[in-house]
Amino acid sequence: MQKINRNVVLALLSLTSLVFLLFQLCYYKFYLSQKNGAAFSKGRGSQSGQDSTRWHVVRKFLGLISSHNIPVYLIDPLILGLVDKDIEQIRSSPDGPSPECKYFCAPRDFTTFALLDKTWKHEVGLFRTAEKMGFQWLKIINKDPRLDGMDDLSGMEIPLHYIFKLASHAIHLVVFYERSGNFLWHGPLRLRQHMDRKFVPFRKLHFGRYPGAYEKPELLLVSIDDLKVQIPKNPSSFLEEVSHSRFLECRYREARAFFQLYPDDASLDAVEFRKKAKSLLHLAALTLNNLGVKFWLSSGTCLGWYRQCNVIPHSKDVDLGIFIRDYKADIIPAFQKAGLPLKHKFGKVEDSLELSFQGEDDVKLDIFFFYEEDDHIWNGGTQAKSGKKFKYLFPKFTLCWTEFVELKVHVPCETLQYVEANYGPEWKVPVKTWDWKSSPSNVQDNGVWPVDEWDEVIQIY
Amino acid sequence: MDEWKPNPAVKPHKKRSWYLAWKYKLMNQRALRKLCQTGAVLFLLVTVIVNIKLILDTRRAAYEEEEESAQDYDDEMLNVEVPRHPVNNKKVLDVEVYSSRSKVYVAVDGTTVLEDEAREQGRGIHVIVLNQATGHVMAKRVFDTYSPHEDEAMVLFLNMVARGRILIFTIKDEGSFHLKETAKNVLKSLGSQVAPFLSWRDMWTFVGKKGGEVYGEKHAKSPALSTWGDPVLLKTEVHLTSVEDAECHWPDTELNRRRKRFCSKVEGYGSVCSCKDPTPIEFNPDPLKDNRVFDVPVAVIAGNRPNYLYRMLRSLLSAQGVNPQMIMVFIDGYYEEPMDVVELFGLSGIQHTPISIKNARVSQHYKASLTATFNLFPDAKFAVVLEEDLDISVDFFSFLSQSIHLLEEDESLYCISAWNDQGYEHTAEDPSLLYRVETMPGLGWVLRKSLYKDELEPKWPTPEKLWDWDMWMRMPEQRKGRECIIPDISRSYHFGIVGLNMNGYFHEAYFKKHKFNTVPNVQLKNVESLRKDNYETEIHRLLGEAEVLDHSKNPCEDSFVPDTEGRVYVMFIRMEQEADFTTWTQLAKCLHIWDLDVRGNHKGLWRLFRKKNHFLVVGVPASPYSSKKPSSVTPIYMEPPAKEEGAVAVPAVAAAEQT
Repeated sequence: MQKINRNVVLALLSLTSLVFLLFQLCYYKFYLSQKNGAAFSKGRGSQSGQDSTRWHVVRKFLGLISSHNIPVYLIDPLILGLVDKDIEQIRSSPDGPSPECKYFCAPRDFTTFALLDKTWKHEVGLFRTAEKMGFQWLKIINKDPRLDGMDDLSGMEIPLHYIFKLASHAIHLVVFYERSGNFLWHGPLRLRQHMDRKFVPFRKLHFGRYPGAYEKPELLLVSIDDLKVQIPKNPSSFLEEVSHSRFLECRYREARAFFQLYPDDASLDAVEFRKKAKSLLHLAALTLNNLGVKFWLSSGTCLGWYRQCNVIPHSKDVDLGIFIRDYKADIIPAFQKAGLPLKHKFGKVEDSLELSFQGEDDVKLDIFFFYEEDDHIWNGGTQAKSGKKFKYLFPKFTLCWTEFVELKVHVPCETLQYVEANYGPEWKVPVKTWDWKSSPSNVQDNGVWPVDEWDEVIQIY
Repeated sequence: MDEWKPNPAVKPHKKRSWYLAWKYKLMNQRALRKLCQTGAVLFLLVTVIVNIKLILDTRRAAYEEEEESAQDYDDEMLNVEVPRHPVNNKKVLDVEVYSSRSKVYVAVDGTTVLEDEAREQGRGIHVIVLNQATGHVMAKRVFDTYSPHEDEAMVLFLNMVARGRILIFTIKDEGSFHLKETAKNVLKSLGSQVAPFLSWRDMWTFVGKKGGEVYGEKHAKSPALSTWGDPVLLKTEVHLTSVEDAECHWPDTELNRRRKRFCSKVEGYGSVCSCKDPTPIEFNPDPLKDNRVFDVPVAVIAGNRPNYLYRMLRSLLSAQGVNPQMIMVFIDGYYEEPMDVVELFGLSGIQHTPISIKNARVSQHYKASLTATFNLFPDAKFAVVLEEDLDISVDFFSFLSQSIHLLEEDESLYCISAWNDQGYEHTAEDPSLLYRVETMPGLGWVLRKSLYKDELEPKWPTPEKLWDWDMWMRMPEQRKGRECIIPDISRSYHFGIVGLNMNGYFHEAYFKKHKFNTVPNVQLKNVESLRKDNYETEIHRLLGEAEVLDHSKNPCEDSFVPDTEGRVYVMFIRMEQEADFTTWTQLAKCLHIWDLDVRGNHKGLWRLFRKKNHFLVVGVPASPYSSKKPSSVTPIYMEPPAKEEGAVAVPAVAAAEQT
């Protein structure tokens, strides 16, 4: 009897643990579904794994905004990713009914749309209607960066994001603003203290962790999953933009403090140089953008942006950086065509390449090519008369957009490290005499070019 | 879960026997049984561990999520909610009012709401209006009733205050010299016993409710002409009413909500806050057909003159073709009341931290405003620049819409302005006529973005330079020989009397009689002829048909121009070189037009109207149009008055002109 008892006990225990395991499975499944918002009834989806809630919410939302004549367009990266695969087919049949729900039925917590601020009046009516339709909504406002500048202005806060929630699905509406430099900007999503942190899973939103900069997209009206929506005409290039859209605002407050310490040079020469540097930078940006070559503000120009939000009047040239992997042989002819003759060319594509173009009246455009190593990035320098090579080391960095002299340009996101590497911890103090061979704090001797290569690596015009 | 299913290969009816056999086998194989038991125990243990781990994991995940989202998406400036004014449940306010020769102050519940002990300033009757429900200060004014006409302004103001508001009066220095009967009667009707008998250098304080009870009044008579009355301190209590009683019951609309917010904060704006039939705050003027300035931003430059701003915005929003979304009001300083006015009209207001002083402050404010305007509207090619003390003509945008393409296409243009410096009641006639002038009039004008961004902004006068921005813009280094287009009849009217460079006398002399267009939809007639070369053709044509006036007569006399209508006349004055304006200045003086500097000229030619005739003045020989002068005519020369004698002669002419 004892043996049987023991067996029975064991069997019972095993059974309990089985039940536990089952419970775990259920719990886990429930937990996951809660995260994905798929806990909603799936009864109406025509195929398994589909979530018609989302489709219904999107349709309601589109109805809401079209009843108020607000032009929004779809920027949801996941949907655009799917759309991009079938773009030819979607383009060719803009009205055709779709056989199955392909895009708006994948279970997600939210769908993202964009709105151009200037295309709508901030009507209260929209939100009343939204509430009547059952939407809960959240508005995220913050200060207007377009008022930031050398002057201390403060205006009304502007709406940056709206979130409309119905049942378990949320619509994230990102408000885009036009900035000088002919691009669109959206703000970061920051919650104020009293806001409901659980309104939607904010961390998963695709837009809002950082502010972003985008080109003005061309739009296309398409019908997907029987819903008529506007999408960027070229979804793949838009998606490419999304991944590199982070935007940095110039540090105007610090720049103001800088000018308190070191009043700006208002002489006619300074005004003239700034004007020329600005137009040279505009020309260079146009040329490189046309070639599709990614570049960023480097050296003195980057310092000017970071420290004083302007061109440093005594810097006498404009400096740009380009990754050597982005090098194209067309660069030199393109600049020459734009009216900027090559002044000198140091190094070669494999090593220490540096180009210099002659702008209007002595203003020079220097392009440094950057070489990536495992733990650092460097660019090279060459002394023409001795053939000496120099190496300037930088910690690794990524690129961010910014607005500078009415231009959308790249700067290293980790600007402080970049500037400090180049100019040392004293970068805040203006220095009028600068020797590129010895002043930078990140310079290293890098040997001498072999004499037989001089003709190639030291070209002066 | 497949593994717990019975072996599908075994047929059902054999199932039990198979199980029994298996069990029997197990029971008999001790070792195997033991193994099974330990296996079961291990399995149990594992499930327990897995269970615990899962619970811990999910807990942590949930916690982290909260934590991270809090970090990423928290507003960096964890703005501490400023506690709003504690809700005042008290029903009684303590009010203290002090009146004396050199100092006045008013304290409400211990908070000083007015204190003025500055020398040589703030003379007269200080008036404070309190909200009868909240006790907030809604308006603060001082009327220098020692000087003429100020009592009229006070009566006007008191009439505008809504019934039920609490009024506090106190005199600093002197407030009775020009306090006329009407004003005294108004004060009497408010319940003042003393007001009718206020006399020279009396001290007086009074607290009362408009159209209701009197809370207190004190008065100290001046014993003699040369001395002041003793200082007076009035302490009294005011009973607050409920908020509902203090508010009007307008229908609940978006507009009325704005109105309510405004009217519960400020006073002195008249019928906009009247409970019965308040004046509208939305105007919906007719849209313009083919409006080319609909997308042009309008920058309104403002300071702390909220009543002016109110009047200005009303006229601006009533102009046909206005686009309220493009209007930006830039306020120089963190003043509340101008912002309240902006919000009343549902417009956008931007405040600017003042830099520098006086003219430089204005100049810096202009720069900040223009920069911000082009930042906010990066697509805009132009900006309309207005000031808070201008009335805007009903066809202001129509005028710009018809002419703005010139500014885009004609490089020789500097601006389009709505203001004709020489367009007075007696010198302007034709609303459809435009001119080209070498001076920049300002007062309602259009600025080209490229001009601002490429030329003006980079070298705008720095804060330490105490320059007027408009004077700077008129300097040849900036203007570079370019011209502005102006209408004959101005599309703006400068009504400001108080201001940095403005006072009542100056306004009366130079601005009051300025002509202002009130005709809607004027079709401009000579727009294309305003292009650089076309304009020369036009001028030559005009001079060709012009009749030469009798140069032996005095040009200041009315009889100088014949009593005709619609004719073109020309006169020639002496102008030795381009900058010789001696005769012109004298002529401008006697014609009662702008004579403080030279305005409205185009290559030594001025165009205006006299007695409804087009009247051209050509400076000989400096003007290229001198060739039109018949050889028999001697250009008129008018001598600048010698310091004393002339001063008598000119007003004599002036008097003749006016009658």
